[in-house]
Amino acid sequence: MSKIIVKSLKYKYPLTEALALNGLTFQIERGEFIGIIGRNGAGKSTLCAALSGLVPHFFKGAYGGSILIDGINVKESKLSDIARKVGIVFQNPFTQMTGAKDSVTEELAFGMENLAIPKTEMVRRIDDALRLLEIENLRDKNPFELSGGQMQRVAIASILVMLPEVIVLDEPTSQLDPQGTEEVFKAIKRLSNQGMTIIMVEHKTEKIAEYADRVMLLDQGQIVAFDPPAKLFSLSNLEERGVRPPVFTRVAKGLDIHDQVGLYPVTLESTVNEVQKVYESH
Amino acid sequence: MTSISLYVDKKSIVHDVDFLTKLIYCCVFIVAPIITGAVILGTFSFLVSLILIISAGALKKLMPIAALSLFVLLSVIIIQSAFIQGYHDVLFTIGPVHFYREGLIHASSIVVRFLDILLAFSLIVLTTHPADMVETLQRKGLSHRIGYVILSVFQIIPQMAQTMKTISDAQRSRGLETEGNIFIRAKAFLPLIGPVVINSLIGTRERAMALEARAFSAEVKHTYFRDEPVYRYKTPVRLILLLLLIVSIAWRLL
Repeated sequence: MSKIIVKSLKYKYPLTEALALNGLTFQIERGEFIGIIGRNGAGKSTLCAALSGLVPHFFKGAYGGSILIDGINVKESKLSDIARKVGIVFQNPFTQMTGAKDSVTEELAFGMENLAIPKTEMVRRIDDALRLLEIENLRDKNPFELSGGQMQRVAIASILVMLPEVIVLDEPTSQLDPQGTEEVFKAIKRLSNQGMTIIMVEHKTEKIAEYADRVMLLDQGQIVAFDPPAKLFSLSNLEERGVRPPVFTRVAKGLDIHDQVGLYPVTLESTVNEVQKVYESH
Repeated sequence: MTSISLYVDKKSIVHDVDFLTKLIYCCVFIVAPIITGAVILGTFSFLVSLILIISAGALKKLMPIAALSLFVLLSVIIIQSAFIQGYHDVLFTIGPVHFYREGLIHASSIVVRFLDILLAFSLIVLTTHPADMVETLQRKGLSHRIGYVILSVFQIIPQMAQTMKTISDAQRSRGLETEGNIFIRAKAFLPLIGPVVINSLIGTRERAMALEARAFSAEVKHTYFRDEPVYRYKTPVRLILLLLLIVSIAWRLL
């Protein structure tokens, strides 16, 4: 059975006319890394909010269809129950800090305190999360003293300690410098390697092409394509949809270098392979 | 990290006392002098609080609070001793203003009570970590939502001030005059309000979402990561304080 089953999902924000999500139907398997791309206003963040239950529990509005996560209907569950299954990380690391805790360890404990986890278990989970995200050295620091990349990793860790089965990341690197971006992607990669289901909205298509198993292209609240990166980024009309393919794909398209089935390379490694093949054939 | 908390992070005998015991101390040392009506007891109370604050190494942090209070206390002394009608015993005169003995005595009793209350509360605030205060109250039944609001204020207000400064700098770099007389400052303040308020509203909404993602609204009895402070002598200290209160009531009745 799929981890996430979305059927005919429709959603409209209060006081608006257009549907932010317009009849989405898809499935995500356990342990998959899903990238979500699309122009601004395509419905990416709304989909993240829907998957984490913030739509319709936090944002009211017209809601139709269903989202089943591990057999649990998001619409009919409480937010606190959904939080045990799905964790969400937002763009701005600063607003994800509670502002009520003096140290990173206390910040990480916040969600577990809300779920009445015993202290010994909290300590164990915090140690695991700090190790996994390589932020053990930040343990006693005040969260507001950290850099953007460090703060975002603390935000991910604060979700991770609640042991969700799915992590949704809504442009987690959009406000970070290149170093911070790299730190966050490495952390997400480690989570993915551990078998966690990851759904990530990201404009940096090079990164999505490198990490994602499948990529969903959204436009005007609808799914345009939901395919592996090579297939999706080989589509011809991406720029019209507000998506810039990875630089390797653009170079390959310019040189008309593709594999046997006509797919363009999307990562550095696959581009080198294809270029090498062309070079050897000549 | 900037915080508006007045807590002085040190090790001392006073710091070791748990929040509830300090709260009982504060109540007893404020109420007992009021019940007895004895200025001498009020003086004794605030001197005890002052000694405890000094022994906790928190005197430096007390100074700004005392300086702020000084203005109020001086006003009380001047108004009570020089501008209240019905007093006759002139103690001294400065220019055309007569200062009356009765007024000064009355002013001194007000000042002693004020200082007593101020120092008793300061003792709690200066020597108890805000999280310990709030979590103690939460363990006794305070809503975790209210507890969160109290704790977050200490860090979020300085962050908002920082945001205000950033926006102010951005506006200034685009030619807005923010320095000069009161009218120029007031004029400069208006364009800052919009971005600051909108920024705060967006930030608040995002933070609310992030809190919900961390099960903030879960309807379960919360656990706590911080250990509950345990004060070994809390029972005898609380009993002594209770005894003091009983004695002061008895003093009043007899």
